[in-house]
Amino acid sequence: MTAKTLVNSKLVCVALNDKTQLAALEATFNEAPYKKSPTQPVLYYKPHNTWSTDGAVVEWAKDFDGNDVAEMAVGASLGVVIGKKTCRVSTEEALDYVGGYTIVADYSLPEQNYYRPDIKGKCLDTSAPVGPEVVAADKVATPDALTVTISVNGEQKSAFSLANMERSVAELISIISRIMTLQPGEIIAVGFAGDRVSIAKGDKLEASIEGVGTLNNTLGGA
Amino acid sequence: MRHARIIFDGRELDITIDANDRITTTEGEALDVALDSDQINWLPPVKAPGTIFALGLNYADHATELAFEPPKEPLVFLKHANTLTGHKQTSYRPDNIEFQHYECELVAVIGKTGKNIKRENAMDYVAGYTVCNDFAIRDYLENYYRPNLRVKSRDSLLPMGPWIVDAADVPNANNLRLTTEVNGKITQDGSTKDMIFDVPFLIEYLSKIMTLNPGDMIATGTPHGLADMQPGDTVVCSIESVCSLETKIVSEKEYYGDNY
Repeated sequence: MTAKTLVNSKLVCVALNDKTQLAALEATFNEAPYKKSPTQPVLYYKPHNTWSTDGAVVEWAKDFDGNDVAEMAVGASLGVVIGKKTCRVSTEEALDYVGGYTIVADYSLPEQNYYRPDIKGKCLDTSAPVGPEVVAADKVATPDALTVTISVNGEQKSAFSLANMERSVAELISIISRIMTLQPGEIIAVGFAGDRVSIAKGDKLEASIEGVGTLNNTLGGA
Repeated sequence: MRHARIIFDGRELDITIDANDRITTTEGEALDVALDSDQINWLPPVKAPGTIFALGLNYADHATELAFEPPKEPLVFLKHANTLTGHKQTSYRPDNIEFQHYECELVAVIGKTGKNIKRENAMDYVAGYTVCNDFAIRDYLENYYRPNLRVKSRDSLLPMGPWIVDAADVPNANNLRLTTEVNGKITQDGSTKDMIFDVPFLIEYLSKIMTLNPGDMIATGTPHGLADMQPGDTVVCSIESVCSLETKIVSEKEYYGDNY
């Protein structure tokens, strides 16, 4: 399954789930407008128009005057694919609701602010490739032990160990399932490296997780 | 013409409702039932819900009520179909909270795919209008992607309907009286003329960022007049020339039943 089969569905992303990033931003988060560090997972959606697939070209974004934006960035996450209806489940039972795992890339404008929903930055067409496939849950023994890497034009730029997540896969499923009922096929992107990778037009991107696969995309605009 | 989705006589039906309140299915079958009949089970009116955009602080008086300056740019957040429910259905109040309020809002339903839509062409992309009640749980607000998903993405907390009115039948969408009644008493009384960013502006704005698609919805924000809701309350959100949406509040335990 790829994003092509996600219809009337949800792709929920978890921001600020990198402990190193949270620690680095602690002083900022004690100031206005945040006033205190988040007490709950910081969530956002990548809506339908963003969904894309392995091998696809990701559009280079335009600003409001119709000119190419100066900068874009990318993060990659383990994508937890829900296997059955998930409503108010406990952390202990949460992994029983996972159908499989995949990779989610989140192309966006650079993250500059977490105060308001980042529609301008995050909702760009084709900016959320998912894939290359869904690996069955029983093939991944410990999702929190995985590492997500990003390479640009063959050179590794980022490696994020999921052991460094503020909240684990099971905790996130439980917490999110108490906000919203999740349906089979819906995906949670559980965490991104705090340092997003800066990218340029025409770059070739690889987001990889050992045992899950490699998601290949090319930036447009070149 | 009005368009809705119902369960009637054990069947899920797409219907149209004419000016004389006569109901016809899309297969052409006339239904012998009154619009206010308890035999009709109303579903959310958009059959294939796309992205739901909702506006925060889009009425100046409401922004002031919440102690915010009116925004210079739309404050947009997203919702998904798990939040939707229909007319005369239930929404729940979470346990152990202090303040849950309704938000009566005009909803523009997108009928055509478009990107970079100019304001002057925006209405070509609106299929029709409906009403929603975009409930909020203020206790759960945090200053991260505010209003955060915990506040605004909960199951059942976006009742919508009962129907979609064709855009052509609502020529004055920017001047409609909007009221909310709780247990029969008017608690919110405003007009869509006080909207800061109107539907054509929002379509131009959003379509500069992203492609809009049929089934996408834009909930345009709510005016002044908030009140807390408790289980047992009945809230009716009405917009002149569009529709009235009734919702009953139940407890979290009653709503989730076996999943509680």
